[in-house]
Amino acid sequence: MGGKVTCTLGEVKQRADFIIYWGGNPAECHPRHFSKYTLMQKSKFLPKGRKDRTMVLVDIRETKSVKASDIFLQVRPGKDFELITILRALVKEQQVTDEQIEETGLSREALNDLVSRMKAAKFGCMFFGMGLSMTRGKHMNSAALLTLAAEMNAFTKFVAMPMRGHGNVTGADVIMRWQTGFPFGISFNRGYPRYNPGEFSTIDVLVRGDCDAAFIIGADPGGTMPQPAINHLKRIPTIVLDPHITHTSKLARVHITTAAQGIAAPGTAYRMDEIPMPLKPALKSPYPSDEEVVRRINEAIAKKPFWLPEGSMPQMVTEQV
Amino acid sequence: MLRITGGKVYDPANKIDGQIKDLNIDADGKFSDGQCDSRTIDATGMIVMPGGVDVHTHVAGGAINFARAMTPEDHRRTQAFIRTKTRRSGLGGMAPTTFATGYLYAGMGWTTVNEAAVPVLSARHTHEELADIPIVDKSTLTLMANNEIMLDQMEAGEYERARDVVAWYIWAAKSYGVKAVNPGGVAAWKWGGDARNLSSPIEGYNKLTPGTIVTQLARICDDLGLPHPMHLHCNDLGAPGNIKTTLDTLKHLEGSRAHIAHSQYHAYGGDGWETICSATAELAEYFNSHPNITTDAGAVIFGDTVTITADGPWQHLLYKLTGRKWGNLDVENETGCGIVPYTYRPSNLVNAVQWACGLELLLLIQSPWQVFLSTDHPNGGCFWRYPEIIKLLMSRDFRDECIKKLPSNIKNKIVLPEIAREYTLMDVATSMSAGPARALGLKQKGNLGTGCDGDVVIYDQEDDPGEMFAHPRYVIKAGEVIIDDGEIREAPDGREYIAKPFYDPATNDFMRPLFEDCYTMQFENYPVEIERVHGASIHDCKNDQDS
Repeated sequence: MGGKVTCTLGEVKQRADFIIYWGGNPAECHPRHFSKYTLMQKSKFLPKGRKDRTMVLVDIRETKSVKASDIFLQVRPGKDFELITILRALVKEQQVTDEQIEETGLSREALNDLVSRMKAAKFGCMFFGMGLSMTRGKHMNSAALLTLAAEMNAFTKFVAMPMRGHGNVTGADVIMRWQTGFPFGISFNRGYPRYNPGEFSTIDVLVRGDCDAAFIIGADPGGTMPQPAINHLKRIPTIVLDPHITHTSKLARVHITTAAQGIAAPGTAYRMDEIPMPLKPALKSPYPSDEEVVRRINEAIAKKPFWLPEGSMPQMVTEQV
Repeated sequence: MLRITGGKVYDPANKIDGQIKDLNIDADGKFSDGQCDSRTIDATGMIVMPGGVDVHTHVAGGAINFARAMTPEDHRRTQAFIRTKTRRSGLGGMAPTTFATGYLYAGMGWTTVNEAAVPVLSARHTHEELADIPIVDKSTLTLMANNEIMLDQMEAGEYERARDVVAWYIWAAKSYGVKAVNPGGVAAWKWGGDARNLSSPIEGYNKLTPGTIVTQLARICDDLGLPHPMHLHCNDLGAPGNIKTTLDTLKHLEGSRAHIAHSQYHAYGGDGWETICSATAELAEYFNSHPNITTDAGAVIFGDTVTITADGPWQHLLYKLTGRKWGNLDVENETGCGIVPYTYRPSNLVNAVQWACGLELLLLIQSPWQVFLSTDHPNGGCFWRYPEIIKLLMSRDFRDECIKKLPSNIKNKIVLPEIAREYTLMDVATSMSAGPARALGLKQKGNLGTGCDGDVVIYDQEDDPGEMFAHPRYVIKAGEVIIDDGEIREAPDGREYIAKPFYDPATNDFMRPLFEDCYTMQFENYPVEIERVHGASIHDCKNDQDS
């Protein structure tokens, strides 16, 4: 297991005749996804648009996205990993018992039908949301689905893509990766980047009370994080850059109002397929951009003495512990 | 600004082969005739060469950044750079982080790198990443050979249109030239296919063949007056017996300039993994009789690495062969991309043949002006291992020692044991600097003559060339001492070279409806704004043609 077999959204628009949404509700959460990229678009390969495409929705409950789907498969909550594993077996014509299938809440006929449609597709794409990646099994579920997509390429063209949300979370990922090698959960406390989700991810650092200051840009953890993490944010000097008043700005020691990206400040946002989009502001704002504030803070810090006395630490670690 | 005295100078562009010569660099960072009375470096007993130029590497953009995400286990064990006053933190290893990439290249004496594969759609990202690679100067090549808008023009026999489309894309991407990867094969991969011979029509097309793309794209690059010719990754990479395809490709290039990328991967005989053998002698013979074509070795070094290429179908095959992680990213209308971590083992017969093939090409192609040092970083091995290859080229004894560790059934499959040639320092300077600079059309690089960029590497003379080339005594970039005795002194920003080819202004209107048909962003947002390219230096192709 490992890796990701994917494509840019234009490939889906152009070619995907078979689309699975798994653990997500795009009709409400990504309302432009169907019309811009996946279902409604016509292309030279799919001249009839929606009629040339099949859409399958896998979810634990009926959402508004069901209406847009051709096939709805209601999986029993917490059984996504089992279902994906069964599909991987069926794709390879391996034995699966009735009890195993029953556990998922679906029938053998429905799964056989799904598998034969997947194999008959010319270009299949699976989008997965937080209903898969943030429920029981978490990253194991995502890995299983990505593996299914990779293995499908023995039969036909198949790709998979996470349905990412929130403002430019992909952009943060991309830049952290080129600067540090890791997407998130990074600690610099030894002077170089180390990665350990579960130890260095924000919630864990806050809940343990490891940090003595917090600097928050473009996020509202005060509204989403567990209470012990929020409590720690209240205890320490928390600085927030945000155009709006948020849960976090209310508990912060300092709130600097900034211009909204893409509306009053320029910049770049990365789409969920990691394509960078330039942001062109339509309005002027009396407030500075996030970038300007960070730059000025950086300049102020640069005037202070360096964090370590000269020669007090090695410049390089040849083998990490 | 800086004076370097008493060193033994190896400057192939000016035919200086080890003579003692003083160099002066003026306040603009360029070599000058006049003496200046500022800092002097006494290089007596040392070896002085132009800074290295990497003609083919993958250091920035969506693909390498995907590879970084896929290899946290390597970041964990590799060399780490700790933040200091002059240096950002970072990690080395198979897919180094941006800041570390600059430090590692400069630390080895390389001062210019060419990022060889950029999809236009993510060029904005690539330029921003390149801006975070300090010290070295950079250029990028745009992936064109599977661009469907261009292929449609070629299919329709509209050569001029295709040429305008290519020029439009180069300027939209703010790149320096054209990269062709597995022409037609990546387009076929969009449907799960490939294109492994040059004369069959490509999947989805009636008459367009890879051969036509190769011929026309090479001509387009020449007609546009691009400083660097078409940079070609041939069809059928990595497959036993692919020498036939490679030689066939070269025949399609007769009369044009071209650069064949990582030719090691395209020089195999045999008809299966058991019978694979080196066919470098045939390929080298072709290069020796065709001075219009250059190549880089794409040499393999044993050890762990991660392979990244726009050649999607090949990576699917590699995933099936190894069962390791597989990343794939198809880019709408333009290209593909595949990533698979890989370990080259001396005990593996195929890997051993690959290892020998890279060295054989570097040794059998007579002119070092034609074959350049590369590992197709990170595909054949990481760029920071170049000194190991230099040692293998300079010492036959060391080669023989290494050959002893290969499987015994490799006899008759390779020709390396019979090759007596050893690189001279002049050969090394040509292959690592002067040659690639000339092939890239970067006249101010790889040259210690008056008016050229003051990029210099100075080595303490040592018996072990591996040690000597791994640890330069000084590295100077544009007259500034960057590395002094293994320490990074300064980390200035590098420049980025961009080509501006001419195209019919009506191309914009022609492109718009085609673009809106297959892309998913606004036409106006697609071209990279010139302000986003840090330190842009524009090469005006049209003017070049006129003069």
